[in-house]
Amino acid sequence: MKSMMKILSRYVLSAAGIALILLIINFSVLAAWIIQAGKYEQRDYSTAQLAMSLTESHGVYTLAESAAREIEKQYQWAMLLDDTGKVIWSKNLPGDVPLKYTAPDIASFTRWYLNDYPVYVWRHPDGLLVLGSEKGSRWKHSIEMYHEEMENILVWVPAVLILNALAAILLALLFGMRLFRALKPLAKGIEDMAEKQPVELSTRGLLGDLALGINKTSRRLIKQEDALNQRDNARTTWIAGVSHDIRTPLSLVMGYASQLEDDPELLPAKREQAGIIRRQSERIKTLVSDLNLASKLEYDMQPLRLSSVGLAALLRSVAADFINGGLDNRYSIDVMIAKEAQNAVVTGDDELLRRAVTNLIANSIRHNSNGCAIKITLEKGLDNCSCIISDNGAGFTQEILENLNHPRCSVGLQNHGLGLTIVRQIIKAHGGTTDFHNLPGDGCKIVLCLPVRQDPSISGDG
Amino acid sequence: MGMVITMKDIFDCKLLIVDDEPELRRMVNEILRREGFMKVFSAADCKQARRLMASEKPDGVILDVSLPDGDGFALMRDFRTESAVPVLFLSARDEDENRLLGLGLGADDYITKPFLPRELTLRLRAVLSRTYFPVILKQTEKPVFRLGEIEIDLNSGSVTSHKGQLTLTAKEFALLEKLYENRGNIVTGDRLCQAAWGDDLYGYENTLMVHIRRLREKIEPEPSAPRYLLTVRGLGYKLTGADVI
Repeated sequence: MKSMMKILSRYVLSAAGIALILLIINFSVLAAWIIQAGKYEQRDYSTAQLAMSLTESHGVYTLAESAAREIEKQYQWAMLLDDTGKVIWSKNLPGDVPLKYTAPDIASFTRWYLNDYPVYVWRHPDGLLVLGSEKGSRWKHSIEMYHEEMENILVWVPAVLILNALAAILLALLFGMRLFRALKPLAKGIEDMAEKQPVELSTRGLLGDLALGINKTSRRLIKQEDALNQRDNARTTWIAGVSHDIRTPLSLVMGYASQLEDDPELLPAKREQAGIIRRQSERIKTLVSDLNLASKLEYDMQPLRLSSVGLAALLRSVAADFINGGLDNRYSIDVMIAKEAQNAVVTGDDELLRRAVTNLIANSIRHNSNGCAIKITLEKGLDNCSCIISDNGAGFTQEILENLNHPRCSVGLQNHGLGLTIVRQIIKAHGGTTDFHNLPGDGCKIVLCLPVRQDPSISGDG
Repeated sequence: MGMVITMKDIFDCKLLIVDDEPELRRMVNEILRREGFMKVFSAADCKQARRLMASEKPDGVILDVSLPDGDGFALMRDFRTESAVPVLFLSARDEDENRLLGLGLGADDYITKPFLPRELTLRLRAVLSRTYFPVILKQTEKPVFRLGEIEIDLNSGSVTSHKGQLTLTAKEFALLEKLYENRGNIVTGDRLCQAAWGDDLYGYENTLMVHIRRLREKIEPEPSAPRYLLTVRGLGYKLTGADVI
């Protein structure tokens, strides 16, 4: 929903912006047009020039020829009134135009129309020149303003703009809310789809097509999910089956090899060979059960026996087991538990978590045959706990490190076997993360980060 | 169990092996005979097993979980309606472990294939001894051992040296008993705490340290430079140099 709010606010702002830009464009176009129109009005001969070109000699008025043409072109008719309001000269004067005018008549038509003819007047030495255009050809208006208003223009223009912007925002908000309401179920649908839940949206209304598409995608996703699950199931079952079938023949190999190894009648060399067969069979046994566990963890088919596991005690116990089991002198294991991590408790499978830590220590020992110092640290974060297992040995090669941190195929047999893969899977099954690092000097560091259970005395459920 | 009392030792036990794999049956049979069990029968499926169960009345059963005509768990339930015969399960699947562990089934033990002969015989002997020769007397008798010049009797909880006799407090006793049971090995602070206080170590660190110091004052010739009850930094403690008397 957060993203929807963002979309809405962006939408409202951009709609208001667009409205404002339109307003400004309109204003400028209007201004440009007015200026343009003013230019158009500038004729070759102004009314004043025409008045000048009407000259009198011996009581006869003559109009310069160019002026006469101009009148023909721009106007329909012309007349000259003397001071008493009588027509003393005229050209093309239509019949419905009177020949005598009173002062009120003149006052009235100078600004507007004479018998619907738009007219223009100019002072002539002998009176008033009146030029008439065709009826209905011009629209005359006058603009009048209080002086103060013109002075306040700097206030009201911005005010109008702001009012417009407000109106635009309000309208955009209104329409936006409608859109928001229409999109909300769709957004919810997409979220559900991501959660792999079936989505069935109403396909009516403006966004019906979109809803239809989402419904369709959801159905397809679920179908694919099912198919994938089925395949994963089949794979896990298959691996479980193979590992089951391998166990009986392996029992025989191991059993007889072990008997030969202990047979006093055999030559020591033969008994040694039987011992090799027995040890390798045991390796196969470990491998098979590792493969089985890895495949089950990968596809979430390993049931977790959940209980409250104290991590500090678990680490101490694993380390003690290694030392008690006869750890070679070349290796050392140190456990350091931070004070605040002493009572860190996770909800998890004790045996699997133990196995994860054991695998890591065993890995350090196996890959550093010249010995190394292993350090186990437990640190407490805000709502998680970091268990860090590090050594000062050879470290990982770059390739293995890459594989471990960005696994492409999880159930893959790498140089390090399945041990580390299982560690990552176990931690993942507990909702944690595993990071493999090489240390700047020598050695490597593996960080297991697990979510810890909140202290019952704090959460109050104790 | 009148018959049980006539038994001289566990090797008198009649055993029944139930497994569908003939080679495996033969091998287990051999292993058991080599170990000293002379009366061993084998069955390939549930039907045969039921018949032998009725006719031979074995004293112990080694039972495969998955059988061609049924399930080992169901078969054991059948047996149990008539006798309390101990059953050692042979399992070929990790999955079975969950059922065997969570069992209200009353299986006596289980072993996962593949297994070493030694594992099988050790488990079997343990199961049979537990059932037919319960060592009730021995369990109440606690060990007496020596740490250098000092003699410790866990029956009376007393520490005897040339200086005289001291008595261990209940907590000191619990700690020393646990350490002695695991002598030569590290016992984590957590386990010691469970043994003495029945609680997690958290919050008991100092208490444990104080009790260990008092214990050292009683059993070490030089408590400040311990020779027998050693601290393993970060992990716990270890009892070394104990000689059983």
